[in-house]
Amino acid sequence: MNILIPLLILVPLASALVIFFSGPRAKAMVPFGMLAAALTLLLSIGLCFQVYQAPSTLTQNAGAAQATIAPKVSFISETLRFVLPVSVAGQPIDWQLSFGADGISALMVLLTGIVGFFTVWLASSQIRVRTETYIGLLLVAISMLMGVFLSMDLLSFYIFFEAVLIPLILLIHGWGDGKNPQAASKRFLLFTLAGSIPMVVGLISLAMAPLANGQPSTVAFSELSAIAAQAASSGVPIGSKDSWAVWLLLLGFGIKLAILPLHTWLPMTYAAAHPNTTSLIASVVAKLGLYGLLRIVIPLTPVALSIEAQLVVGTLGAIVIVYGALVALSKDNMREVLAFSSLSHVGFITLGLMSMTREGLGGAALQMFNHGLITAAMFWILSMLEQRHGPIRLRSEDQGMAAQYPKLAVLLVFFTLAGAGLPGLNGFVGEFLTLSGMMRVCTTLVAIAVLGTVLGAWYGLRIVQRLLFGSNGTRYDNHNRPLAGVDLRAQEWIP
Amino acid sequence: MQITKAAATHLTPEIILLIGGTLVMCASVLRGKSQREDIYAQRNNYAVASLICLLAAIAARYYRGVPEIGNADLGLFRFDASALAAERLTFLGGMILILMSWSTAPKGRLAEYYGCLLIILAAIPIVGASNDLVSMFLGLELVSFPTYILLGIVRNDNAGAEASLKYFLLSAFASCFFLLGVSYLFGFCGSTNLAVIQGSFGEGKRLMALGLLLAICGLAFRITAVPFHFYAPDVFEGTSVTMAGVMSYLPKVAGFVALIRLLGTGTLSPGASGVVIPVLLVCAALTMCIGNILAVAQNNLRRMMAYSSVAHTGYLLLALVALIRQDASPGVMYSYLAAYAAMTLGLFACLGEIEAAGGKSHLIGDLSGMFQRRPAASIGLTVALISLIGLPFTAGFWAKFMVFVGTVADRQTDSISMLMGALMAINAVIAASYYWRILSTLYAKSESNVPLRVFRPSLFFAYTICTVLTILWFFVPSAM
Repeated sequence: MNILIPLLILVPLASALVIFFSGPRAKAMVPFGMLAAALTLLLSIGLCFQVYQAPSTLTQNAGAAQATIAPKVSFISETLRFVLPVSVAGQPIDWQLSFGADGISALMVLLTGIVGFFTVWLASSQIRVRTETYIGLLLVAISMLMGVFLSMDLLSFYIFFEAVLIPLILLIHGWGDGKNPQAASKRFLLFTLAGSIPMVVGLISLAMAPLANGQPSTVAFSELSAIAAQAASSGVPIGSKDSWAVWLLLLGFGIKLAILPLHTWLPMTYAAAHPNTTSLIASVVAKLGLYGLLRIVIPLTPVALSIEAQLVVGTLGAIVIVYGALVALSKDNMREVLAFSSLSHVGFITLGLMSMTREGLGGAALQMFNHGLITAAMFWILSMLEQRHGPIRLRSEDQGMAAQYPKLAVLLVFFTLAGAGLPGLNGFVGEFLTLSGMMRVCTTLVAIAVLGTVLGAWYGLRIVQRLLFGSNGTRYDNHNRPLAGVDLRAQEWIP
Repeated sequence: MQITKAAATHLTPEIILLIGGTLVMCASVLRGKSQREDIYAQRNNYAVASLICLLAAIAARYYRGVPEIGNADLGLFRFDASALAAERLTFLGGMILILMSWSTAPKGRLAEYYGCLLIILAAIPIVGASNDLVSMFLGLELVSFPTYILLGIVRNDNAGAEASLKYFLLSAFASCFFLLGVSYLFGFCGSTNLAVIQGSFGEGKRLMALGLLLAICGLAFRITAVPFHFYAPDVFEGTSVTMAGVMSYLPKVAGFVALIRLLGTGTLSPGASGVVIPVLLVCAALTMCIGNILAVAQNNLRRMMAYSSVAHTGYLLLALVALIRQDASPGVMYSYLAAYAAMTLGLFACLGEIEAAGGKSHLIGDLSGMFQRRPAASIGLTVALISLIGLPFTAGFWAKFMVFVGTVADRQTDSISMLMGALMAINAVIAASYYWRILSTLYAKSESNVPLRVFRPSLFFAYTICTVLTILWFFVPSAM
């Protein structure tokens, strides 16, 4: 019974409610929101410590893909038992919700805590209208994200997965400053629902799978993964059973991670939403699809995840790497460039996941965290630059911002290089691991992906060149306000 | 065929409502022409009287307790979980509808209005408890006739006349279908008792299936299933907001309860189900798709809600099929209807409050910027719409989720079930697009920012109850 877990979900939610109902004292609520976000960050750090100090109970004998999910710390309460007024095949449905954290979820919780805190922090200076409501909605989103990452059963996973939508569409709709935030939020809603509603069919069939063996239906990851591991070891031929359920799950998570034919919501949303909102979406929310693959599809359906599915999604991942990079090269709206570069990087993670090897999965988990930080940082920098300059276009002329904002310029170069996978910065480790994992499965895909890294360096350097250098930037002289360097420097602990 | 004493005892709540309805209707005659009281006092009197009748009925049910006899009384009536669930749904909806009517009922005809409403509320539990084609038909007609009157009296213009005439003619037509089917069933089985009829389903003759299909056609009209949905948009548009709430909810409850009673659960023979289930599935698929696609095209809020109500019928039909096939408990459908009551009646109550406060709610555009003008009603609308989309932390989430469970579960190898599940998923996404349109209009910036300040406590209570229930039922789905 771990008290940190409910606190991580409830603290941001409760403070958001306080903010919404604060009425006339709303203006004073901005520091309160920041305090709540800071508290959440502290809690997530605490959870991380607990998880990594807990004795390892994981017996890794059959490779990561077949390992059962065993949370290191868990929170299971009898009060969180859902008895639905429906019975199937004479069996009442009685599902126990459970929450917990293992290594992967702790990493994602930490990412949410960090990104959430800085997003709220920057919101206080970036968002001019209805700041307190914005912060409240951000806190709700953080709470829901924590719920997704901490859930240890299909039902609570799905509830929180869907619930993340509500604050996000409101954030995009209400505070978007791009061309058409209304259309973007609608597209975001519809695309995500188009993925998640078919997904629920897959999830239900997963939960009902034990019924075939005469066991009661369950939603707990630990039990389901044990059943799946058993099925895998008993040598049922791969792809024989439940394959449609896996395809539905892949569709749902694929839309969330914006895999190639389903990606059109992503650039539109990123371009329309405020960069501060986008930093949360790009760094954490876009990882939900990957987290779902890692948490549900791979461990729970080893028998059903056929080699075709693995290759199809892997190939799409590889294509998306190159496609994203190429489009990023051709766009000149800075927001869209970042959106497509983010798309391209998510492709690497998909590739690593679909390798289903231990290197690939580990690399993917690491890269999820690292890419989250890098993307969030890029969008924060963009948000600060836009605050000073208005919309940033790369093609207009060389802007020479380095002369005006030397500190921001250093950070931008730093994160661009990290994103491009320069050895010594965090982007490298994850990319290398994912590619070496995929190497065992399909060399062709790795070859395509490596092409993507070259292109990645290209568009990264293009940003740096166009934006920072090339002129002395004398047109703007009064804009050199003191930078929000304090909150950025805290980021520099990245490995 | 006679009403036993036990049955009469268990029907006490309905009897109270029938008598109450009749008395309320007589009240206007007894009071004569002395219209000295102002309209507010009259409104209060009639609404309070109706509420007292309803509360007395609920109290009678509690006082009598839940009948223990189960299936024992197999005469005209049967009191089992289904009957009680139907009663609960009706009383829940009735409570909200009376609150909604409080300030929206037509001025000159208060007595008739509340009388008819109470009689409808009495009739639906009778349908739910019926164990005989005769009592079921009587119950259904007892729902229909007051509805004709209500549609006729709430509006005195052309649209109102069109709505009431259209509903009257088509409803009479549907009743004829139902009677024709019933006559086949009677001719085949030699009895009007549903237990007997369901017992002879096993013989599985074509004639039986034909009779069932005709009866289903008659009921499909009440639940606005395609292809019997044509009246819905016109009727919704041509009547008051409260009456639109009545039309979207009460006939649906009556129709579905009758369907559950008629088809039974798990009693259909392979022969009969081979005809009935494909028909129901096709009907469900058409109802979902046509309802949702036509709703997207609407600009008129009332017509959109009519098509949305059609679409929800489609989901409920899917749940019904799952119910028939798997011998599952009918809880899915009752929970769905309860959630549907909370969200749809909540939505209509909010619209009603906006209209009562002087705003317009005819077109979607009329709601533009309503959040600034009328925050409380807008929040109620938001919760109702999120619930209609089916997002978490609302009852609508469980409603959709359970239909998915019923449709997909333990039929994994059946490609038809899968297809229906996928179709419903696609439909849910289409539905989200038009609900989102209303939702984004609420928060849009509009040029007229005049706040609507008139406060109607009854409507406020109505949608507060709905909103609270919608959120509460998410956390306690077993109470739905």
